[in-house]
Parts: sequence; C-alpha cells; structure tokens
Amino acid sequence: VTAYLDSAATTLQKPPGVARAVGAAVGSLASPGRGGHRPAMLAADVAFDCRQAAAELFHVHDPEKVIFTLNATHALNLAIKSLVKPGDTVVVSGYEHNAVTRPLHALGCQIKVAGGPLFDPMATLAAFDRAVTAEVAAVVCTHVSNVFGFILPVRELAALCRQRGVPLILDAAQSAGAVPVHMDELGCAYIGMPGHKGLYGPQGTGLLLCGEGQTPRPLLEGGTGSLSAQSEMPDFLPDRLEAGTHNMPGIAGLLEGIRYVRSRGEEKILRHEQALAAQCAAGLGSLPGVTVYAGPAGTQAGVVSFTVRGKDCEEIGDWLGRQGIAVRAGLHCAPLAHGSAGTLQSGTVRASFSDFNRPAEVSRLVSAVARAVS
Amino acid sequence: MVIQMVYYLIVCRSLTYAQRTEKALHRAGISAHILRSPKSIDSEGCSHSVKVSERSLAAALSVLARADLSPKRIFVTYGDGSYQEVGL
Repeated sequence: VTAYLDSAATTLQKPPGVARAVGAAVGSLASPGRGGHRPAMLAADVAFDCRQAAAELFHVHDPEKVIFTLNATHALNLAIKSLVKPGDTVVVSGYEHNAVTRPLHALGCQIKVAGGPLFDPMATLAAFDRAVTAEVAAVVCTHVSNVFGFILPVRELAALCRQRGVPLILDAAQSAGAVPVHMDELGCAYIGMPGHKGLYGPQGTGLLLCGEGQTPRPLLEGGTGSLSAQSEMPDFLPDRLEAGTHNMPGIAGLLEGIRYVRSRGEEKILRHEQALAAQCAAGLGSLPGVTVYAGPAGTQAGVVSFTVRGKDCEEIGDWLGRQGIAVRAGLHCAPLAHGSAGTLQSGTVRASFSDFNRPAEVSRLVSAVARAVS
Repeated sequence: MVIQMVYYLIVCRSLTYAQRTEKALHRAGISAHILRSPKSIDSEGCSHSVKVSERSLAAALSVLARADLSPKRIFVTYGDGSYQEVGL
C-alpha cells in the first residue's frame, strides 16, 4: 500500500462521494445552458450548486463570480492577463510558482520580488511594504508556499494593497480547503485555486474567484449558451470566462469535495495537517545528515521539505517511491521559492499531507529516510 | 374547452442569473422555474427565463428587488404563442 504524501501536487485519497459523483455525472449530466431538457437542467443545477458551495466556503457574495477553470494555473493566467499589461511592474513574493512567474515573464513585466527569509512573515510584509509603490500595476502572492508550506501574511498584505490602491491576486493553490480563504475580508481582485488539491475534486478542475468591480479578459472565446447572436463574448460572469462545454464530471466531483471540506471545517483540516507536518519535521530532523525546513508554530501548513547530505533529492524521491512512499523531489515548479530558501542547486524532497493521511504514514516515511541515510 | 394560462417570463442575462432568480423566488415561497427563452423574444440569441404565474408577478418583482436581482426584460404570454413585453 502506498503512503501517499504528495497532496501538494494532487490529493489522491478523496471523500468517497467524489468518485461516485464523477461516475454518476458521466451518464446523467449534459451541458448546462445548452438545452432545456432534463439532463441539461440537471447539469445546470450541479454547476450552480458547486458555484454556490464555493461562494459560501470562500465568502464570495455572488456565485456568478465563481468561475470554473481547468486548474489553478488557468485561473491565475486569467487573473494576471486581466490586470497586467505588457511592460507593467508587478510585485510578487519570493515563493511564487511558475504558474505566476511564467505568465508575468511572457507579458514582459518588470517583476519586483518582495523577498524574505523562510517562515518570517514580518520580513515578508516589510519587503512588500517597500516594493508596493505607485507604479505597481498588481501584486501577486501565494498564500502557502508549495515547496515549504510557509503561510504568507496575506491578510496584512491585502490591507496594504487596499490602502495603496493596488490590486492583489492571491494564489490559493496550497491553501484552498486547508487554510481559511476569505474573499470578502481580503478584498482581492482575484483568487485562483485548483479543485484537485485541498478541495478534493478531480484533476481538471479549478476555480477563479473574481473580486468586486473586476472586468476580466477571456483567454478563450467561444460558445457560452448565451447571447449567441453576438460576435463578442458576453460582458457578464460567469459566461464571459467559460467558453465551451463544461467539465461536468469534474464539477460534480468538485462539489462533493467542497461539501466534505465544509462539513469537516478548514480549521480542523489545517490542525490535522499541521500536526502531521510537525511530526514529520521532528522525525526527519532527528536523523543525521537530514536538513528539514520547518517553521515556528503557525507559520507552516501541511508541507515539509528536506534534503539529505550527500544524496541527490531525486534519488531519495525515487528510492522512497520504491518503498511505497509517494513524495515529490526537485524544484516543484517553483525555482523562485528554492532561490529564496537557498535550495535552488540541490532541490528538496517534499512531503505534503491531506486530511486523509495518518501519523503511521509519517512514521513510515521517517523510518524509510532513516534507512536511506544509514 | 381550452384554458389559456397567462404567465410571465422574466428574462435573465445568464443561466446562473436565472438560477439565482429562481432560488430567490423559491425561498420566498413563489413557484418559478427556468426555461430557455423562446426565440421570438430573444433577439440577441440564447438566454434563459424564469417563468412565474400571473398572480405571482408583483410579489416576485418585490422579492427580486429586495435580493438586488434585476430582470433584463419581462414578457407576458396568454398561452397562444404570442409574447408581449411588459414595461419594468
């Protein structure tokens, strides 16, 4: 049996209702908005229920501002390309994923990195304070580092952005479902997230939450089932950003995943994952030659990176895989984060947890690493 | 004898908006359901409408105003296939 400790990539263990909903959707849900018949209207109901459940979980006033996307990368591209023009200056944290930095590079932006040491939210905030100046078009910040689990001070950052009138895009790829995300309080321009990680939906799902007063630009144009006689995309949400047929099996599964998170509670999930991370950090940290990237209480979510002296991180990851322990090694599509932590050359091995992991799986990882270093 | 039912169609800007409209009316105890807008009243292409009975329209509009939901247009039909726009 595999100990699956790679939930920062995708959660593998899902609530049982997710697979049931996906399977049922394949044979029963047609395309919302593309017909008045029962299978189309059933699909419309599921899509609406999913938007509504997400709106309630993330405190978005209006379910029309909840957009279905393919993943967090798609959502972040929509957000960035709606707010940022070629050549604009954009401030990012030192822990961004390529889903943020590559679109900014593609736009030819001036990227200012508000860098700070790992697990030091005050230093990160001070760096943003210095970097967010009048010429800045937008701030893009990850909520939780996908490499180190560092929880960035987004509430304070959002207040800073509001005060200076600079729109904030929040990358909630690692936080959604595990750390409370409150659109209403944060006042973000956009929040992007995957459906297949902490929300326990299937791969191929994601969400973009649109803030008040935003007029996003579509990445795709096409049929929406609305205003069909018009050549341009509708100017209203969600249709403006949802060209083409919806991933109804995915959305049906995502709805069940969100229901699970709401019934369990994000705070409870976070405490569980943090306890596993603390167990992991303590266990690995006691091994000779192992460096663990662990933060003070409250600064780290359920993600732990480590390196082993004299061993290539990919070799360790591969060896653990052969022991039936699934982790991820390398740069985790986040070279900026590794640069900030000083691990760009070595990479790290990352263990990441979900609500379905148990302490015995962490013990198994620690024992396996102990054998690897002995 | 054929009874010709009078009902109203509240045309909405999107399917999601129609769903919000329908749910607001249901919460207020008003019977309503979504259908695709008849082509004859939809010059811009496809849209969705929420159907309410003649006697429910005034209450429905009051509920929608309180919920900050704005109908795009409203049509009345007498069940004979013709539709007349009602001034908002």
